[in-house]
Amino acid sequence: MAEVELGHAALDVQRGAIAILDPDGNVTWADEGWAADEGETGLPRVPIGANLLDAYRRQDEPVAQSVASALAAVLAGTATYFEIEHRTGRQSRRSLLTSVSALRGEGAGAAVIQRVVSARAAITPRLLDVKTRSADPISEAIERLTPRERQVLDLMAAGLDNRAIAAQLRIEYTTVRGHVRSVIEKLGARSRLEAVARAYQGGWVAKQ
Amino acid sequence: MSFRPSEMSADAFPVPSHVALLHYGDEQLREGLFDFLRPALDDPKQAIYMCGPPGASSSFLGYLETSAGRSLGAEVTERRIVLGKGDPDADEQLQNLVDPARELSERGFDLVRVVGPAAWDVPGYSAPEDFLWYESRIVPAIQGFPVVVMCMYDAARLPAVAFLYGALETHTHTLINGILSRSPGYLPFDRYLTERLIHLPWLEAGEERRDVTPISEGRPGRARRSRKR
Repeated sequence: MAEVELGHAALDVQRGAIAILDPDGNVTWADEGWAADEGETGLPRVPIGANLLDAYRRQDEPVAQSVASALAAVLAGTATYFEIEHRTGRQSRRSLLTSVSALRGEGAGAAVIQRVVSARAAITPRLLDVKTRSADPISEAIERLTPRERQVLDLMAAGLDNRAIAAQLRIEYTTVRGHVRSVIEKLGARSRLEAVARAYQGGWVAKQ
Repeated sequence: MSFRPSEMSADAFPVPSHVALLHYGDEQLREGLFDFLRPALDDPKQAIYMCGPPGASSSFLGYLETSAGRSLGAEVTERRIVLGKGDPDADEQLQNLVDPARELSERGFDLVRVVGPAAWDVPGYSAPEDFLWYESRIVPAIQGFPVVVMCMYDAARLPAVAFLYGALETHTHTLINGILSRSPGYLPFDRYLTERLIHLPWLEAGEERRDVTPISEGRPGRARRSRKR
């Protein structure tokens, strides 16, 4: 309980906790608020030197997964900024805003900022703002796909589910899941269908 | 788009079929759920599968027990009533629906009644476009099986677009005020994919997604200023 109180106090005083990430998602710098967090934010604590992206991806919590997805897009250069408002820890009645923004130029990477924004808790986590349309054209994104991922994308565009894709390509279902995730991420999409739609719109998948 | 009540009654669902129950609020949800599932409670040759986002199936079971006035623990134990688990991945969620429905069919039940709420833009769950993909995949997935899938669309909570693209275009039938009708807007999966899914307005190139949730306080101010390298 004392640790939770410490976390509350740190966030109350500083109104925020900040971490700077390198392009791989490793925390290279964090302020005192970040270091003092003992679970108050409801997100895993990631110390300097550890990989925040991996740590959040390993969590079952929807908020951590959402932050990880958007962070991956920021680090891939297909998103510039996003925010998500969510409850701060299970027993807290307050609302936290987690923001991720891209850092360009020297020291490129991302900044993660967490702030208490309201005395009331967000009823449900809400993604507030995502800009995924960057200068990165779809053709460049497509070229980042491996030949196998291109095959998977074609079959996704044909509407096949993962089991059908696995059967068609004669590979493991879990392997297909990994390819699908990779395709979505490389295309800067948030979902299976958005990846398919982007491929169609870019003319990379023939319309049926 | 208008509905003309058909001659079908709500207790004579085509098998297999994918039905959208359009209701307003929880009270109508409980009524619709009980009306649909009651025949299975009285008939040991029928089974029930409840799915949806995390927590939905246990909520539905609670509603059903309240309406039935008895515990359904025995049916759950013998897996005549199966509680599904949600998954944030639409493809996984599809398998979570299809596998138990097929398993129950193969165990010899004459009819499997599947229920689940429409989960539109639920944080941490499938994005709306993936939810629509999931909905559109259900009809081909249950072909050849004695399964009726009923999805609950709450008019008190869901946006109009969920009804337009989800309830009316991915379900073979709609159930409104106890009247079962063939859905005039239903599109087979291949057409739905090419004519609807890849043209969803929020997926158009150049679109920017913005939630309407207001933020009372300013954008990163003090926190950003205090950033150090």
